[in-house]
Amino acid sequence: MPFLPFIRTVRKNIYGIIILLPAFLYLAGFSLIILFTVTQMAFTYAGTEKIFFPALQNFVKLAQSPEFRSALLRTILFTVAGTPLELLIGMAAAFLVVKKFKGRGVIRSIFILPLAIPAIVTAIILYILFDFPGGHINEIIMGRHAFFPCQFVEYPVDWRGSAFSALAVSLAGKLWRDMPISMLIILAGLQSIEKDQTEAAATLGASSFHIFFKITIPLLSPAIATVLVLRSIELWKEFIFPYILAGSYPLLSTLIERAYHEWRSPNEASAIAVVLLVLIITCTMCIYYMLAYLKKRLVRI
Amino acid sequence: MIFIVMAPIFIMFKYSLSDRASVVTGGAVIPLWPYEPTLEQYRGLLSADRFIGAAITSLKTALLAVIISLILGVPAAYALVRYRFPGILVLTTFLISIRFFPDIVSVVPVVEVFTPAGLVGNVAGVAAAHCLLSVPYVIFIAMGVFESIPGDLEEQAQVLGAGKITAFFTVTLPVALPGLAAAAIYVFLLSWDEFIFAYFLMAFSDLSTLPVLLRKILSWTPQHNLLAAISVLLSIPVVLFTFIVQKYMRAGATAGAVK
Repeated sequence: MPFLPFIRTVRKNIYGIIILLPAFLYLAGFSLIILFTVTQMAFTYAGTEKIFFPALQNFVKLAQSPEFRSALLRTILFTVAGTPLELLIGMAAAFLVVKKFKGRGVIRSIFILPLAIPAIVTAIILYILFDFPGGHINEIIMGRHAFFPCQFVEYPVDWRGSAFSALAVSLAGKLWRDMPISMLIILAGLQSIEKDQTEAAATLGASSFHIFFKITIPLLSPAIATVLVLRSIELWKEFIFPYILAGSYPLLSTLIERAYHEWRSPNEASAIAVVLLVLIITCTMCIYYMLAYLKKRLVRI
Repeated sequence: MIFIVMAPIFIMFKYSLSDRASVVTGGAVIPLWPYEPTLEQYRGLLSADRFIGAAITSLKTALLAVIISLILGVPAAYALVRYRFPGILVLTTFLISIRFFPDIVSVVPVVEVFTPAGLVGNVAGVAAAHCLLSVPYVIFIAMGVFESIPGDLEEQAQVLGAGKITAFFTVTLPVALPGLAAAAIYVFLLSWDEFIFAYFLMAFSDLSTLPVLLRKILSWTPQHNLLAAISVLLSIPVVLFTFIVQKYMRAGATAGAVK
C-alpha cells in the first residue's frame, strides 16, 4: 500500500490543504494557461489557406525582418548598459544614507520617493521635460536660463527623434524610478555587515580603500547578486518608458505591443514573447553562475 | 542626488499649476514657476466625466483586486506557515516566484484567453489579471505576518475550548490585522499603478483606468499642464500610502521585484 502514507499526510493536514487550494489553483492554473497559450500561438502559423501547427514560420519571419533584429539589438544594449548602472546608482545612494548623520531619516525618505511615483507618471514627466523644441532640458542646455549660462547646443535637440537619445532618456527614467529598490537591497546588505570585521581590519592597519574592496564588497556580494539578477530581468521586460518615450525605436517588449495592436498578428507577438522569455531565462542563469563562480574566487574564508 | 530625485517631482507640480501662458509660451523661455499659478486644471479635471469615470474605474479595479487577492492569498499564507507537509518549501517558492514571470510576455495570451471569456474591456478582467501579480505578494507579506505570531496563542485558545476556526478569527486575525492591512494597501497600489494589463485589456473600449487614460490622452498631444495635473492626482494616493506602509514596502522590495 504505497498510498497509505500519502493519504495519512493529506488527512492530517486536510484544513491546510483546503485553504491553500484556491490560491494554488488560481496561480498555477493561470500560469499554465499562459505558458501553454503563448507557446501554442508562437508555433502556430496562419497561412493563406490553412493553419500550420507546429510551425517555425513565425520565428523565421521575425529573424528576417530588420525591425525585429534591430529591436533585439536595442534590447540587449539597453539591458547591458542599464544593469551595471542600476547597481552603481543603488550603491551610491545606499552608501550615502548608511552612515548616521543629522537628517538621515529625511534624506532616506526623499530617496524612497521615486518608488511612490507611478512609472507611467515618471515617463510622462520625462516626456514633458525632454520635449522638442520647447522642453526644460532643451532650454537649459541652450543656455536660456540665467542660472545656467553655458550654451551646449545652438538648436534644440529632438530627444525622441533618434534611437540613442530616446532610449537613453527611457533608461534615465527607469534608473530614476528603480533607484530606491536597488538602494534598499544594498542597504539591507550593508547593515548586515558586522562592524567588528571592518574595525578589526582597521586596527590591523588596513586603509579604507582596502577595507572597501577586501571586506565590504565581498560581504555585500549576496545583495549585489540580488540587485543584478532582479534588475536585469526588469530591464529585459521594461515596457512603459520605451513605450512612452521611444515609440519609434521599439525594444522587444514594445515590439510585442506593436505586433499585437498594429500588425494585428497575435502569433508573431507571441513568438517575440517566447524569444524574450528565453533571453531572460538564459541571461538570468548566466548571471547566476557567473556570480557563483566569482564568489568562489573572491571570498576565501 | 537629492536634486535629481526632487527635480522631476517639482516640475510635475509646477506644470500642474501652470496657467496657459506659462505653458504655451510661443518661443519664450518656459518659466520655472508659473506666471499666475492656478488650480484651473484640477477644477477642470474634477468636473470632467472622462476623468471621474477613469478614476472610478481605477478605484473599482483596485478594490476588486484587493478583495480577491486577500481572499485567495491570506488563507494560503496561513496554511503555508502553520502546516508542515512534505514539499511545502518547494510549493512556497513556486507560488511566490510566479511574480518574476514577465508581465509583457503573459499579456498577449491573457488577452487571447480573456476575449472569449468576456473579460476584456471590463473591470473584472483587469482585476483578475492584477491578481496574478498581487496574490504572490499577499502570500509573501501575510506569511511574514503569521510567522511573527506564535502558534501557541491559538493552541491555548483551543485548549480552552475554542474550535480551530473560532481560534483563528478571535485570536490570530486581530493580531495580524495591521500587517494584512499593509498587504491590502500594497495590492491597491499595485493595481492603481498597473499599466500593461490594464492597457491591453482596455485599449479598444471606452473604459479606462487612470494610467490608461493618461496614455490615451497622450495620443492627442495635449497641453502639458493637463498631463501634469492628471499625473499629480494619480500619484497622490500612492505617495501617501507608500509612506504609511513603508516598512512593509521595504520588506517586499528587498525580497523581490516591485512594480
